[in-house]
Amino acid sequence: MVPDNIQTFPSTSLTLGAGARTTPLDDLETVVALYQPRVFRFLLANLRDRDAAETLTQETFLRAWTARDTFREDCSVATWLIRIALNLARDHTRTGRFRFWKHIAASAVDVDEVAANIPNREGSAESQLIAQEQVKLIWQTVADLSPRQRTIFLLRFLEEMEIPEIATVTGLPLGTVKSHLYRALNIIRTRHTPQKETV
Amino acid sequence: MTPHSASPCSASETMHLTEDQFGQLLSQPVGIRTSETSAAEAHLLACEQCAAELAGLRDSLSLFRQASTTYANNELRNLPPMQLPARPAHTLAVQPAYWATAAAAVILAFLPMQALRQHSFQPAPAVAASVADRTVQTEDEALLNDVDTEISASVPTPMLALADPAGVASGSLDSSVPTSTQRKD
Repeated sequence: MVPDNIQTFPSTSLTLGAGARTTPLDDLETVVALYQPRVFRFLLANLRDRDAAETLTQETFLRAWTARDTFREDCSVATWLIRIALNLARDHTRTGRFRFWKHIAASAVDVDEVAANIPNREGSAESQLIAQEQVKLIWQTVADLSPRQRTIFLLRFLEEMEIPEIATVTGLPLGTVKSHLYRALNIIRTRHTPQKETV
Repeated sequence: MTPHSASPCSASETMHLTEDQFGQLLSQPVGIRTSETSAAEAHLLACEQCAAELAGLRDSLSLFRQASTTYANNELRNLPPMQLPARPAHTLAVQPAYWATAAAAVILAFLPMQALRQHSFQPAPAVAASVADRTVQTEDEALLNDVDTEISASVPTPMLALADPAGVASGSLDSSVPTSTQRKD
């Protein structure tokens, strides 16, 4: 019989003693099931390396699990996890080894494979091809952005985070986030659209 | 912030939305109007070129998201399942057991050390005593050897001078025994 002061979580059989603060991260299996696709997607788009994204996704959840007592619920679990993932990605890309292997990594993401995943659209095969080219162009342009611009762009347009949430994740002021986002969008727009004549 | 041209944009005009206005319009969800973007929204109603460009960019960004999401989900399906920790690393319920185990381990580690320390203190006098005993025993043996030598000698040492007054037999003269030359002097 389980004492009154012990709470049992059936999915992972974890028990918390009296006085232990329960957090949404106690049920790790559920947390992983809910957020792994999102964390992996962000890391994959950011690092463009399958193996690195896989490793850092696992590391993100382990770190979150280890530090779950520090989660104060002042932001959502997703925001907290993406923040951890972003820090890990930042540490990972800082190493010279990553820069070297990035060019020859067998697990590097193939842009054509990504573009092939666009949903079937109503219309001609030509419009489908044009859509694929647009995706390729954006994917390639995102790779050329600065790390900060790329992160903010992906958080906004891949993870669909609001700008205040991005500021929380990155630890940057709102104005700085906007500034990086607008610059990133301008670079994409410049390559996406033929330049208009301006006075 | 207003578009470069205050008046509605006509086909002949070349003033369009600024970089920041495009950024603001693209960054906010479609259909939501704010005071920051009201002027840009008004411009879009009159400028087909900007409206078309904005729509094209929104469409491309949406495709980018869909393609990236589908691709990542497919990749994730091919990955091996994530290894999750079977047990909590340090829940409060586990902590007392952990500390009790740690304390027991420390005690078990110190008990033999304490016992060893006691042993190492006790033998010190015993060693000293055994060394002293050994010294006494050596001295005793030496004394007994001397006694044996004395007993087994044909002439006792104090009587040697009488037995050989010239010291010829022994080859050495005791300084205490005066020689004939000394007597002469």
